[in-house]
Amino acid sequence: MALIPAQHQPPLPMERLILKEGAAGAGDRMELDVLVVGAGPAGLACAIELAKLAKAKRTELNIGVLDKAEALGEHSLSGAVVNPRAFRELFPDLKDSDFPFHGKVKKEAVYLLTAEGRWRVPTPPTMHNKGYYIASLCEIVRWLGARAEELGVNIFTGFPAASLLTRGSAVVGVRTAPAGLDREGAPGAGFAAPNDLTAKVTALAEGTRGALSQAWCKWQGIASLNPQIFALGVKELWETKRPLGRVIHTMGWPLPSDAFGGSFMYPLEPNLAALGLVVGLDYENAALDVHALLQRLKQHPLFRPYLEGGEMVEWGAKTIPEGGFYSLPNRCSGEGVVILGDAAGFVDVPSLKGIHYAMQSGMYAARAILPALKAGDPAPLHLAEYDRLVNHSYVGRDLYRTRNMRLAFQDGFLLGGLQAALMTVTRGLFPGWRYAVHADAEVHRRLTPGGSPGSGEQPDGRLTFSKVDAVFKSGNATRDTIPTHLVVGQDVPAEVARFYSHVCPAGVYEEGDGVLRVNAPNCVDCKATDVLGPRWTPREGGSGPKYKRM
Amino acid sequence: MKIAVCIKRVPDSETRVKIGPDGKSLDEAGVKFVLNPYDEFAVEEALQRREKAGAGEVVILCLGPAAAQETIRTALAMGADRGVLLQADRIPADGFGTAKAVAAALKDGGWDLILFGKMAIDDYNHQVGPMVAELLGLPCVTAVAHLEIEGQKGVAEREIEGGIEVVEFPLPAVLTTDKGLNEPRYPALKGIMAAKKKPLDVKPVQVGAGGIEVLAMTPPPERKEGKIVGEGPDAIPELIRLLREEAKVL
Amino acid sequence: MSAVLAVGEQRDGVLRKVSYEVVTGARRLADALGGSVEAVICAAGAPQGLDRLGSFGADRVVTLTNPAFAKYSPEGSAQAIADRAKAGAYAAIVFAASATGKDLAPRVAAKLGVPLAADVTDVGVESGAIVVTRPVYAGKALLKVNVLGKPAVVSLRPNVFTPVERPKAGAAETVAVTVPAGRVTVREIKAAEAGSLDVAEAQVVISGGRGLKEPANFKVIEELAQAFGGRAAVGASRAVVDAGWRPHADQVGQTGKTVSPTLYIAVGISGAIQHLAGMRTSKVIVAINKDKDAPIFKVADYGVVGDLFAVVPRLTEEIRKLHG
Repeated sequence: MALIPAQHQPPLPMERLILKEGAAGAGDRMELDVLVVGAGPAGLACAIELAKLAKAKRTELNIGVLDKAEALGEHSLSGAVVNPRAFRELFPDLKDSDFPFHGKVKKEAVYLLTAEGRWRVPTPPTMHNKGYYIASLCEIVRWLGARAEELGVNIFTGFPAASLLTRGSAVVGVRTAPAGLDREGAPGAGFAAPNDLTAKVTALAEGTRGALSQAWCKWQGIASLNPQIFALGVKELWETKRPLGRVIHTMGWPLPSDAFGGSFMYPLEPNLAALGLVVGLDYENAALDVHALLQRLKQHPLFRPYLEGGEMVEWGAKTIPEGGFYSLPNRCSGEGVVILGDAAGFVDVPSLKGIHYAMQSGMYAARAILPALKAGDPAPLHLAEYDRLVNHSYVGRDLYRTRNMRLAFQDGFLLGGLQAALMTVTRGLFPGWRYAVHADAEVHRRLTPGGSPGSGEQPDGRLTFSKVDAVFKSGNATRDTIPTHLVVGQDVPAEVARFYSHVCPAGVYEEGDGVLRVNAPNCVDCKATDVLGPRWTPREGGSGPKYKRM
Repeated sequence: MKIAVCIKRVPDSETRVKIGPDGKSLDEAGVKFVLNPYDEFAVEEALQRREKAGAGEVVILCLGPAAAQETIRTALAMGADRGVLLQADRIPADGFGTAKAVAAALKDGGWDLILFGKMAIDDYNHQVGPMVAELLGLPCVTAVAHLEIEGQKGVAEREIEGGIEVVEFPLPAVLTTDKGLNEPRYPALKGIMAAKKKPLDVKPVQVGAGGIEVLAMTPPPERKEGKIVGEGPDAIPELIRLLREEAKVL
Repeated sequence: MSAVLAVGEQRDGVLRKVSYEVVTGARRLADALGGSVEAVICAAGAPQGLDRLGSFGADRVVTLTNPAFAKYSPEGSAQAIADRAKAGAYAAIVFAASATGKDLAPRVAAKLGVPLAADVTDVGVESGAIVVTRPVYAGKALLKVNVLGKPAVVSLRPNVFTPVERPKAGAAETVAVTVPAGRVTVREIKAAEAGSLDVAEAQVVISGGRGLKEPANFKVIEELAQAFGGRAAVGASRAVVDAGWRPHADQVGQTGKTVSPTLYIAVGISGAIQHLAGMRTSKVIVAINKDKDAPIFKVADYGVVGDLFAVVPRLTEEIRKLHG
């Protein structure tokens, strides 16, 4: 028996995501020069670079950044070990010690795990982290936000962009999500109508699996050579009794051999460590549960001694676009619009890094936008220069060199590892062809009764946690009575409902008596089921997690 | 209507409390600071009064660190007209110290109303408002959950144990606001933009240590293991005794 | 100067029980200081129940009378108590952090020009100094402070200082006081609106689950809530909300959204984790359930195993007695 997620996935709700300019229903309107959707590293780097360039050219520029989180950084999650390259380029006057980093990576180790044992393996060349910095993306985002505001950028947190506003084939802005609706969607106490923000350029920096970015590509018929594929990362922040003192990556257990992924543990402070597990969403066992696997991972003798007696202080989850070069949209620019960072798929998978690419793409976008604005062309502006800048940069070159590395792992971990090694030594010339991939939702899932890696173990509430406990630690305090933001397919069969319940790390989906139950307020915007099942759409501002140091 | 609203910057209610290395204060690393939720009612009430009067000024006053400018901006984004930060390195544990500094700043301001939240969610002091009223010689009603004002006379309702006290007072007055008084608005996009351009004066103040000396901050005692009191209705008298004498909640 | 002034409260000529707690707290301080307790009440005439203050340790009981004190007079009482405090040499003044005490204590402290340590849960004397403990950050930390004011003004969190009978031959006296006409006057006391309390705000939450068997049986929960006299709200587990027995607004739990009442009583709720996440920060949790292995008992402070239809009415009866 097999299950194909795509057969149960509803289509992207294009009628909600793409609106004609001036569509009925808006409250306030605001006009900007440049509108950035998403206050992550990509969006903020774009806004900062743009404000700096404008200042240097003595140009008045009205730049706005929207974010769906209640406060800066609260929806941002990453490992993270940061390659400081983009920081140095964006802030040439600052030193590394001025950046919001926790410390340089001094020691690192990669292990191959079995249930009880571990083998230290040589660190793959792409994964060397010497000279890079351990950081919390939440802190990076808050720091970048402060720099942007100093430069006069307007940051609006708590305002999710819900729809693209369009004129012909051009993007002219966005409409934000309304607030204060009741469960049935009628205006309740504290209702705030959507706002229409229009701009000469809209930069979509929504992050992973962006709803508007997806809608725009679909609307404009922009394809990619391969479909984008994703991994789901589940992460916990621990106050530890013992200092970790080094960066750890693991492969192997507790992942089944048909799953691609691994774990990380990074020391932020002597008594604070980030721990996470990342698993490609093209795994075959329908019962695989990343959150549950992370709970199992923590019991391994490699991790347990650090965690025991400590306290899990934060939990979060996020998908990562892993397709690399061949999954990038054929173009990331259009009339009045550019796509940045994770929303476009700029992630350096072999080195497990995306923050520097995100920032870099934002900076290139800024460098393309300003001349276009100054040229004073009649709208809509064409921004193909952005694609050119990215493609000719180290971002484009590196992505091309490692174009097949992640894809090789479809063949399983060992074969994949061998091919990846060959790719590294040939600087990408091996294998000389493009691996074709299936979209994650097209991958056939095996339904093995009883076989449910990681789940079925009772969490103890000290070392291991249930999904509801986890959501609690994400800071999620979404209003219980907002209308559901998840678009679920019709008549979901029980086995599909169970599949969703395993995919979602936040306990949004539950199967009971053969029926799918959806606890939409639990959602932490990781987008995993948007990849494999029910669609995610923007909801009331400030909903979702409130990450502090993820 | 000329209205002063006195606000405080406090750690978010979801803050995970970690005690700092001095053993006397909150470790502020990773703590999110917000406008004190009870003060939101005060800001909202002031805005509604000004809107109803069709004219007037709502001035936000805050005693706190430089970062409290952000908190003031939140109130300005809601619609207040201007802000004043009494910048102090620290907020004293002694609410009277705060009250003296605030009263000095408000003195002779010609206010019709001076509003406070009924308490701050960090220190639970619920005292600065009525103390300021005493220092300024103004009438004061605390914990107002319903308010009507006609001309120079006001009627307020405040919740007391087992009832609602209906209180009459003349203007100008100091009021502290409770939940239920109104539904505070979210700042609108335009409000957020406008707030950036509104005047915000920063005045350094010296606030002494005051008469409350913090000796220690400690975590609350750990939750004790629960126990089964008994079976059936006969267990109720013992349950009541435990709730009264051990848990002290009845 | 080691006398302690205990400020009691009356409503409609009847002494409020919280006054006993104030006297108990004041007695503790006075014993540590080697001094006496003087209880003081503002009233139109000597209130009922006044004689009992002596039995909780008041050496003297003074009623400050003024016709304006028939109802709570914020300005008049503040003036009368401040005058009394100035006239004597008190080491401390103790209030209740009740609705009235929260209003009155800061006024008196400001008139005396001294700080106020509000809402304290413990009082003591260390090296001659008055040291109190106050919960801060919603009870997530305790602050121990030295109250340097002369006198040290404190208000006690209600329901914390269990009145202890410590009979003293309390001398009662009545002193008529003159106070200026107050600008702030209490016109009336209205009954609290029933059923208006939100689960998120109530001090006591009583939640029902599937163990109630059918919607009509929520009556037993509602009756228990009423017995708490306006302090309690009725909550519900998700299972019964989903079944349409109760409105969604009553639902406790689910999103990690929490209620944190002083007392949470879970009736016929097995304790699905979704529910537990929403109420585990309650100060005290009581569970009533038929199944002794129900997960709810793991988080409950006190559990009663049994048929809720027998247990809850008995509890309601006892609570009514307490509040009667």
